[in-house]
Amino acid sequence: MYQNKIINIAMVLMVVITSCIQRFDPEIRDVDAVKYVITGQVNSGDDIQRINIGTSSPISKPGIIPVTGCTVKVIDAKGNEYPAHDVWNGNYDVDIPQNELIPGNSFKVDIVVPGGTHIVSDFDQILAGPPIESVYYEVQKLPTESPIEFTDGIQFYADLDASNFACRNFRYEVIETYEYHTKYPIEWWYNGRLRHTTPPDSSKMVCWRTTSLRDVYMVSTEDLAENKYKKYALNFVDNQSSARLVFGYSLLLRQYSMSDEAFQYWEKIRLNSQEQGGLYDSQPMSIKGNLHNVTNPGQDVLGFFSATTVTQKRIFVKNVPNLPIEFVFNCVIGSLPRMGLQGTDPINYPIYLPQRSIWIDDAWVSTYDLLTIDHECVDCTATVGGTIVKPDFWPN
Amino acid sequence: MKQLLTGILFLLFTTALTAQQSQKLASFHVNGMSFAQFSDLVQKETSVRVFYHEKWVKTIKVDVNLDNVNAQAAVEQALKGSGLEVSEWHGNLVVLPGEKLLATLPLYDFEDLKSKSDSASRVLTASEERYMTGRNADVLQILKIGRKGGHLTGTKAKITGRIMDEESGEAIFSATMYIAEIKAGAASDMDGFVSLSIKPGIYNASFQYMGYQGKKYQIEVFSDGEFTVSLKKSVIQMKEIVVYGDPQMNIRAKDPGLDKLSIKAIRELPMLMGERDILKVSTTLPGIVSVGEGAAGLNVRGGGSDQNAFYLNKIPIYNTSHLFGFFPAFNADIIKDFSIYKGFIPAQYGGHLSSVLNIVSRQGNRKHFMARGGLNPVTGNLVVEGPIKKDTLSYMLSARASYSDWILGKINDPVISKSNAAFNDISGGLNYDIRKTQVALFGYHSYDRFSLSDLNEYQYTNNGVSATAGHSFGKSLRGEFSVIGSQYAFSTIDKQDANKAYTHDYKIEHYEIRADFNQAISDKNTLVYGIGSILYKLDRGTLEPYGENSLRQRVELGKEKALESSMYISDSYDMLPWINLTVGGRFTMYTAMGPKTVYEYSAGLSKESRNITDTLYFGDNKTIKTYYQPDLRISVNFKTDDAGSIKLAFNQMHQNLFLLSTTTAIAPNTQWKLADYHLAPSKSNQYSAGVFRTLAKFGIETSAELFYKQTTNFPEFKDGANFLDTPNVETSVLQGDQRAYGIELYVKRSLRKLEGWISYTYSRSLIKVDGEHTWDKINNGKEYPANYNIPHSLNVVLSYHPNRRLTFASIFTYQTGKPVTYPVSVYYYNGVPVLDYSSRNAYRIPDYIRTDFSVTIEGNLRKQKFMHSSFIFSVYNAFGRDNAYSVYYKVEDGFIRGYKYSVIGVPVFTATWLFKLGNYVSE
Repeated sequence: MYQNKIINIAMVLMVVITSCIQRFDPEIRDVDAVKYVITGQVNSGDDIQRINIGTSSPISKPGIIPVTGCTVKVIDAKGNEYPAHDVWNGNYDVDIPQNELIPGNSFKVDIVVPGGTHIVSDFDQILAGPPIESVYYEVQKLPTESPIEFTDGIQFYADLDASNFACRNFRYEVIETYEYHTKYPIEWWYNGRLRHTTPPDSSKMVCWRTTSLRDVYMVSTEDLAENKYKKYALNFVDNQSSARLVFGYSLLLRQYSMSDEAFQYWEKIRLNSQEQGGLYDSQPMSIKGNLHNVTNPGQDVLGFFSATTVTQKRIFVKNVPNLPIEFVFNCVIGSLPRMGLQGTDPINYPIYLPQRSIWIDDAWVSTYDLLTIDHECVDCTATVGGTIVKPDFWPN
Repeated sequence: MKQLLTGILFLLFTTALTAQQSQKLASFHVNGMSFAQFSDLVQKETSVRVFYHEKWVKTIKVDVNLDNVNAQAAVEQALKGSGLEVSEWHGNLVVLPGEKLLATLPLYDFEDLKSKSDSASRVLTASEERYMTGRNADVLQILKIGRKGGHLTGTKAKITGRIMDEESGEAIFSATMYIAEIKAGAASDMDGFVSLSIKPGIYNASFQYMGYQGKKYQIEVFSDGEFTVSLKKSVIQMKEIVVYGDPQMNIRAKDPGLDKLSIKAIRELPMLMGERDILKVSTTLPGIVSVGEGAAGLNVRGGGSDQNAFYLNKIPIYNTSHLFGFFPAFNADIIKDFSIYKGFIPAQYGGHLSSVLNIVSRQGNRKHFMARGGLNPVTGNLVVEGPIKKDTLSYMLSARASYSDWILGKINDPVISKSNAAFNDISGGLNYDIRKTQVALFGYHSYDRFSLSDLNEYQYTNNGVSATAGHSFGKSLRGEFSVIGSQYAFSTIDKQDANKAYTHDYKIEHYEIRADFNQAISDKNTLVYGIGSILYKLDRGTLEPYGENSLRQRVELGKEKALESSMYISDSYDMLPWINLTVGGRFTMYTAMGPKTVYEYSAGLSKESRNITDTLYFGDNKTIKTYYQPDLRISVNFKTDDAGSIKLAFNQMHQNLFLLSTTTAIAPNTQWKLADYHLAPSKSNQYSAGVFRTLAKFGIETSAELFYKQTTNFPEFKDGANFLDTPNVETSVLQGDQRAYGIELYVKRSLRKLEGWISYTYSRSLIKVDGEHTWDKINNGKEYPANYNIPHSLNVVLSYHPNRRLTFASIFTYQTGKPVTYPVSVYYYNGVPVLDYSSRNAYRIPDYIRTDFSVTIEGNLRKQKFMHSSFIFSVYNAFGRDNAYSVYYKVEDGFIRGYKYSVIGVPVFTATWLFKLGNYVSE
């Protein structure tokens, strides 16, 4: 038996524990050449078409670097030109009549950036896409690093049925919206002077937050016998790390039909971002889209300009059966400097203070003079992306 | 002292007495008399008795016409040409086959022998001396070759010897014969044959092979003739770690870039989980690297892992590892000889650009039954061998199996306990060997099964058989005829995604016949030539949907067939005593054959299914395309002095079979693919130069080699290529140029208490795919480093033997990190960060450094024992360095994070037990 144990340990060492994954940041040379990045698409099904122009940022200092002041126009296969106008932050909106945004028509973008560099894309053709067959979820337990602990939550899925369509490549965008609450109303606060709002202001206690998920979801039926796909896994929402499932969660799924070229571009991005590092995984690659620098052909232009059909579907989730909510809103409490409120930096104003006594460790503690509370405890808009404006689609 | 003096006096006295007796003269005139009658006559006339074995002299008819000769001269004349020798022994004569007893020390070379004995006693320590009992230092034996008078004056005699293992009776491959007087020698072939042309006369010949005690003979050459020499395994443990042959061979071997590893060399070295992996050890030699732990395959002189030919007794092995690359696919105990050709590749080999790795297995002990085996934490193995008919027919059987499967089941982890991994391999051989004919049969099978929970299942097998018959025709021609079959197959079930679940089976078959000849034309010219033909049958298999929910489309990847016929001729010519020139040519005709459907693509457009313009169908065995491939191989070897040589070589190769791999390590489902209508064979030219020197005094050999290799039509996958479900490989592959160059430095010390080697290689391997159109380019047509471009590689392999039962060994490995493609900038798409990657392989992962240690403890050294055991304790990656296997980036929750993946990041301890029947030195 003793020997068995040794062998066991050796094998475990060998197969499991010996391999490890660690954070590692190698030195990357900052590239001198700034590469233009053009992303954008014209969507059959949307009212406004948007093109974004920016430059890439060094890996050490990632950030959005918009390029404004460009002359941008979208040209279709028939020769119609649609000028775009600079709206904000490198975004250029273009208005294309719906009767031209139809499957079969092709579009390209033509850009002159300030300084005169001329960038054009290849034509991309709009392919007709089917409506989303269905969006649904299942309660699941995800394994964690500990073999005995699991994370409970819901896994979203989409079904695709494009049986009567020629398009075989689709990209999904998941836009989630959820409601969340603060713990307290605004009552005591300080901005150089101690303030007391009576009655307490509860206008910033309920917010909604909408974000587009950053994962790339794509499906191709190219190697499937039928142009269908069942149970395509989207995002997983757990019951403990956020308020997402507490007051209601809405998921908007947008499905874009894609040309082969666009799919290949996005597929490469997906491969680059997901399947890496293992013993038998492919190396990442430098990806070229369908944009070309006419002025300086040697310089790559990043991004892709595509023309698609978009369809969408929304699902609302609240009170999931068999899924207890384990989320606990943790109001972060800070302590005042020795000087008290007078010692606080005006840069942090307003400073919110708790009620006269707060519940800490099973007891009401009177701590008015000593403690502050985070903005998130009383002001839901302090969370990035939060708004107190209830979305139209939100059920009453 | 007094006793010694008495002894000497006694010896002198008896010698004088016997000398007197045998000097009695007589006359003999007999015709057709039997030897028995003749010996009676001799006794009657001279009073000298002749001792002999009746069997030996049965057929001899004596014709003697001599007057006034002594008995010995008369008997010598009677036995002339029979191979029997007569020696004087205490006044009588003794007849022995091929051997003369020496009553006195020979006069010639006396000084030489003396110095040799001196040096031997200097090297040996007292403890070694104890184990040398029974070994007589430098007993000079005489070998007579040919018949007296059976030779024309002025011409040379062709002598053919066979070098055998004294204990097992097996032929020794690559043993050397060296004739001091003419400073010439030869190395034995696979069946132990060695031949040389030499003027009749008396010479001093020495016979050497690594790990064996050398032997010296005085040879008397009368005419063309044959002889056999048996060498004994060296009992000096220190000799067991040997790379290259002995120093003599290193200097004189005609092939630059030939490495040899003795199986004993790897036994004591620290290995992962105690698996003696000769391929992993070979990566400590100059010019050979591997891309990481668990990665199958070698990269030799900047070549891809599919550019190596791997043969086990002539059977090509298409997957050389178990468990995807962690362990070797064959039992180390069956290896008799392992050679790597990487510079000058002899003309008999072709088909792979970088190297030939050749394993010759044990043939089976021809004298007695023998068993050996071992246990380590992963596998157990056993080899049995022995004679079926003594000295003629022998067998060898080997089996090795893992027992990791049940272990995994016991592990309290849902993924691992539901996983299982098992592998085994068996092999067996039969060898028939009588004087001029050798027949060998060999079979090999390996099997691997791996399932990762309920996600993936892999299985793969190698099968192979080879039958070889060798025969010596006359004195100078030897032929070898072989029939070879090999098969590699794998099957995969991928269940990770129920919608896309599939099964896939793949198979490659290799059938080969070949005839190889070796002919000594003169003492200066040796010709090798031969013909052969290989039929490849490849079934890339079908992707079938797996499970009810799979929507996967069935894809037939297609079958392929090709015939590769070759002939070659090569001449090794000693132009001057110090220059040897080998010139060889190999011509291959490669024909891709139907049945096959081939697509034509419109010119000027990328090869994609939407650009297909025409479909060609080729019927069964119809020629699709034929490629003619002439190869030139030249090597010049200048001997600068007794201790050094300079070698130059030019080597041309073609390759018709490729691995379709997009990953750095070879994945378990990587497919072999034949050259076809679109995919042209690769071709390479390699130039190499080397300087070799030995410093015999210090037991040191050194070498420095330079090489430059250029490959055209090197197949490279396009970005994002996926070969799994691509029937038309041409849509995913581009062909470009590869060039590799480097310098290799090597220092080796052997036959000392502290021995080992240090190798350093600087090399580069660069690929350029620059087609006419943008879609025919990789990396914008700019040159980029290959995945295995590892410029600096330093290995230090040391072993220390404080005494016979204890060995400490260590391996230190340093390699530049392998190339990698890193993200250089980031951009955002709808707020989603997207990484923009550098050009292909523009960066490197951190350097690889690993140190391993081992201690080998041998069982007792009693001569009479049933079984001898050895215990090897090793620690792999002793300092637990977490060497990066890969570095990659992930965008997680909007953050860009770099990760380093280490396969083995901790020290791995292993205990291994090895055993064999008999004592410490038994073979």
